[in-house]
Amino acid sequence: MTRSRVTVLVGHFGSGKTEIALNLALDLAASGTPVTMADLDVVKPYFRTRSARQLLADAGVELLAPEGEHIHADLPIIVPQIRSRLRQSDRRLVIDVGGDDVGARVLGSLADVVPVAETECLLVLNFRRPSTPDADRAVAMVREIEAVGRLPVTGLVANTHLMDETTVEVILDGLRSALECGRRLGVPVVAVAADEAIADQVRRSTDRTVLELRRIVAPAFALPRRRSTGPLFVVN
Amino acid sequence: MAKKLMKGSEAIGEAAVQAGCHLFFGYPITPQNEIPEYMSMRLPQVGGTFVQAESEVAASNMLYGAAGSGERVMTSSSSPGVSLMAEAISYLAGAELPVVIVNIMRAGPGLGGILPSQGDYFQATKGMAHGDFRLLVLAPWSVQEAADLVQDAFDLADYYRNPVLVLGDGLIGQMMEPVEFREGRLPIKPLEAKTWAATGNDGSKPRSVINSLFLDPEALERHNVHLKEKYDRMVRDEVRFQSYGLDRDYDVLIVAYGTVARVCSTAIDELAASGVHVGMVRPVTLFPFPYQAVREAAARASSVLVVELSTGQMIEDVRLALANSKPIHFLNRMGGMLVSPDAVVDKIRAMADGRSTEVVHA
Repeated sequence: MTRSRVTVLVGHFGSGKTEIALNLALDLAASGTPVTMADLDVVKPYFRTRSARQLLADAGVELLAPEGEHIHADLPIIVPQIRSRLRQSDRRLVIDVGGDDVGARVLGSLADVVPVAETECLLVLNFRRPSTPDADRAVAMVREIEAVGRLPVTGLVANTHLMDETTVEVILDGLRSALECGRRLGVPVVAVAADEAIADQVRRSTDRTVLELRRIVAPAFALPRRRSTGPLFVVN
Repeated sequence: MAKKLMKGSEAIGEAAVQAGCHLFFGYPITPQNEIPEYMSMRLPQVGGTFVQAESEVAASNMLYGAAGSGERVMTSSSSPGVSLMAEAISYLAGAELPVVIVNIMRAGPGLGGILPSQGDYFQATKGMAHGDFRLLVLAPWSVQEAADLVQDAFDLADYYRNPVLVLGDGLIGQMMEPVEFREGRLPIKPLEAKTWAATGNDGSKPRSVINSLFLDPEALERHNVHLKEKYDRMVRDEVRFQSYGLDRDYDVLIVAYGTVARVCSTAIDELAASGVHVGMVRPVTLFPFPYQAVREAAARASSVLVVELSTGQMIEDVRLALANSKPIHFLNRMGGMLVSPDAVVDKIRAMADGRSTEVVHA
């Protein structure tokens, strides 16, 4: 996964797009790749990519998001630089799109500049979220997001989890549903995501690529090892 | 039912549906829009009705009508929106109508910001609106507890025929945690048929009149006394709190509620690992406030620390509980900034070293 110039993360509300987008961008930066991250989330007011701006800056990741006090606003602001970066850039671009078809509408508005041949569009799936309990609902959601986002989904990321109560069984259960969903769509499951605490166990249970996540998007009390001092609930 | 990963807002919505609430009237405001969003999706599935009203004023008066017909009904809003509902909430209390109101607090005053706050403590517990009434106020610290308290809130509202307020900060609404809904849940109170409800009348029984207007002063005074007896019963029977770390000896007692108590519990666990034991009483009901629990737990401490996302509104109740028997220290953030576990640890250490100034002297 992630060999294309542009990686777009879409999916249902609360599926884990922001967490995965942040981890991808930071992993790329750590490997020496120049990365730009674009926050297109106009759906949720908290826990957005922009919340991690200090973390991204420290890692050398460029962030495209509203600036000044507007970074805290619940306004549908799309910074114009995103259009030029989509057209041309020698940097890798990771785009975090807002949830559901509502969030994907912003992506649709950029359809004229999205370089489809250079873009992978990954849809994140958590089958423990109420909006996607099974493959049927997930397939329907993929169709809605593709129609509104005007970009075909090229791969699925299996991200089924229950936060601190995640077990390998929960992840593998979700992987099975993601594979079923992928079969019906004709789209590959490019990775199964797992928290760093459980990733090794998952690797021993599947041949699939495991995307090891360090948890970034979380309230301060849930991150005893990494502390937030800022208002936005991620490491700053 | 298998555990789901839910945002607090979604869990609150689902809990209401599970509690038999098939009516929701509201108006959008950040950071609680996911509650009406969820209800607008969910209620048609159970034959219920969702209405996005033209304002909070309209929504809260729709509650009055729906509750008057004996149906379970809920609204949700965030701080400025709740202020707009205040008049109707007084009418609901006066007319003794059971409703559930959810306030997902954001930082104020005025429009303020959209980030979390606990600045509506006074409004919720003391001064919601005009007249002489009280709301039962429930304050969850987790998504699961938010779901549980919303279901309890409907039973309590019906039992007391009084509005019940579920008070969470923005974080409760937006964070995601695993949630489980128990099947076959029974009401927590013995509930009688709503014979007082206005459900139509063919002349075979006396009319049901839902009203908060009492022009006769003697009748209104009797009504005030009746309401007061109800609030006294709440104080006697409905106090809820959680003790944390009180099984060990401790020098400092923390009093905190909601997600701030969650932050404090992380700090308490860390301090315990380094041999410093701190206790905490977390009020779950803010009205009625657990005065006795705070007093008894504080009696074993040498000082008390209140932690809040406000200028210190709950200090007044803690002070009432302690009657100046212990010094009170205070730690807070405002504006949408959060108290971090590190800040709590630092404050506890500062209190031990004599570097912290008390805000209330013993």
